[in-house]
Amino acid sequence: MNWRLFGFLLVLLVVLVAGCRQQNPTPTSESKLGIDLAVNPDPAQVGKSMLIITVTDAAGQPVNDAAVNVRGDMSHAGMAPVLAEVKGGADGQYSLPFEWTMGGDWFVTVTVTLPDGTTASQRFDLSVASAGGMGMNMSAATPEATP
Amino acid sequence: MNRRLNLLALPLLGRLLRWRWGRLALQIPLAVIAVLLVLDGFTGPPEAARNLATVTPWVHFRGFTVLALLLVGNLFCMGCPFALPRTLAKRLSLRGRRFPKRLRNKWIAIVSLFLLFLAYEVLDLWASPVLTAWLIVVYFVAAFMLEALFTESAFCKYVCPLGTFNFIYSTVSPTQIGVHNLDICRTCVGKECVNGSYQPAPVIRLDEIPGGGQKAVRHGPAGTPGCGTLLFAPQMTSNLECTLCLDCARACPHQNVGLFTRRPGRELFQVAAWPKRWDVSLLVICAAFLGLMNAFGMVPPVYELQRQLIRLLGIRSEWVLVGLIFGAGGLLLPVLLTLLAAWLGRTFMRHQLSLRETVAAFAPAFVPVGFGIWFAHYSFHFLLAPLTIIPVIQEFLGGVGDWARFSGTVDVTVISLLQLAALLGGFLVSLTLANRAALRLYRRKALAGLLPWAFVLLGLAFAAAYIFTLPMEMRGSLLAG
Repeated sequence: MNWRLFGFLLVLLVVLVAGCRQQNPTPTSESKLGIDLAVNPDPAQVGKSMLIITVTDAAGQPVNDAAVNVRGDMSHAGMAPVLAEVKGGADGQYSLPFEWTMGGDWFVTVTVTLPDGTTASQRFDLSVASAGGMGMNMSAATPEATP
Repeated sequence: MNRRLNLLALPLLGRLLRWRWGRLALQIPLAVIAVLLVLDGFTGPPEAARNLATVTPWVHFRGFTVLALLLVGNLFCMGCPFALPRTLAKRLSLRGRRFPKRLRNKWIAIVSLFLLFLAYEVLDLWASPVLTAWLIVVYFVAAFMLEALFTESAFCKYVCPLGTFNFIYSTVSPTQIGVHNLDICRTCVGKECVNGSYQPAPVIRLDEIPGGGQKAVRHGPAGTPGCGTLLFAPQMTSNLECTLCLDCARACPHQNVGLFTRRPGRELFQVAAWPKRWDVSLLVICAAFLGLMNAFGMVPPVYELQRQLIRLLGIRSEWVLVGLIFGAGGLLLPVLLTLLAAWLGRTFMRHQLSLRETVAAFAPAFVPVGFGIWFAHYSFHFLLAPLTIIPVIQEFLGGVGDWARFSGTVDVTVISLLQLAALLGGFLVSLTLANRAALRLYRRKALAGLLPWAFVLLGLAFAAAYIFTLPMEMRGSLLAG
């Protein structure tokens, strides 16, 4: 085999695949919304919980007509994310049920979308206390995505 | 060899595998994947769960590797993309002398295996796409450098921790390289399976084939290299050090080399197949304990232990802290337990066998239980979110990841039963192997001779089962916080 040809084809293939890749749209945070997160119970522990997200505008006034999407990821690869969403809040507060599927380091990404289409995102890092087992404990919470 | 089927004789698969570029055809897709992992690792999302560089190697690759080892053989080494720069170095004629004689053993492999797991824990490789990408780059460079400097495949044979893992546990695989007719090998002049048929200028030779008359053997630039790890096909009794590159089968001018099915783990039951060397014995024993420690690194007691060590010893370095725990549990403890079990056996059985030979006799017994631990661990990660690779690829290509659709998990009860079966099955086979070794060594006093080893194996399996019932916790450094 012509090794130069092979090398060229390999590089070409990689460039083509990489070239197909597009940048994901990055949520804008030009709206300068304030986003805060509280968890109940606090500190967080494996199992069902409530997230209370507070959204305020640049003047510090509560925002009630936004759509809030929440995505919880563990710090390590291979865990399914926990997804949740809620629309409409009261006094700038949005409450939604959320299930921590495993103990450890988590980061929660909250994305707020206003009726005019502007979005803002905020990432929160937190630690979740353990419960259940590493598979063989039958009482372990079954990790699943929240639709 | 208990031959049943030669996979290289199968109509399509056999032809593909025997094809001159058959291995390359497997390596190219994996090489492209490796490059894309590096690309995503350096430029993609920093979240490990959304990056190809972390999801692919730490979840899917490991899951598929243990499954392939159990069901087929050392498939990862067969298609290993890191071997491509090796081949390039060979083509560039940068090869020098053989690997230093003093280093032609498994001591470096033990250290590299330990360092990989240590780096995995200390650097939180499971959570860092960038560092995982760097690891892949380092792997390519190291493979190229060693192949450029030395004649044999020194990186695969003596250094590569992934290859070492595959070598150890391919001993349980149901396939092995072998030959059809030993007489052909005896009369073979060129021994191309190990020497290769690659010559700068064409050479034609005539070989006398028993019962087959004469055969013209051609050497030339289009020939095939022989076994990179210098294994001689008719003398192979074990999968240890076989990368399953199939160069031996391609190079054999008499088509006498094949990839045969066999009883899984056959060589573990054959005394002659196992080298009576300290390095090989301690490698397989430490690999089983490293499997235990790798799982231990994910449960709450390890963090409590770290807190205690920080408090008692005032340790400030994560490398020292984790190195202490993993060195004690993954290297020191198995060595001490092994020596103690062997010493007890020799002393109370009044047996004349040396400590080295005693350890070598029982070392194969640590392969099944070790494999069971690794299998239980890796299958857990793989089955928790087996399809999350799909939204990761979707996002890599610029689309929107359909996480809600592909975030399903295999039922926890099923995972638990699989883990239990792996641990229990591994332990029982290990116990059978240890019992056979004890019967062989101590005959009528076999039960007493078996006891120390049975306790070590039982302790290993029990500790693994206990760890798998603990809540899993994946955290970063305690020292950083």
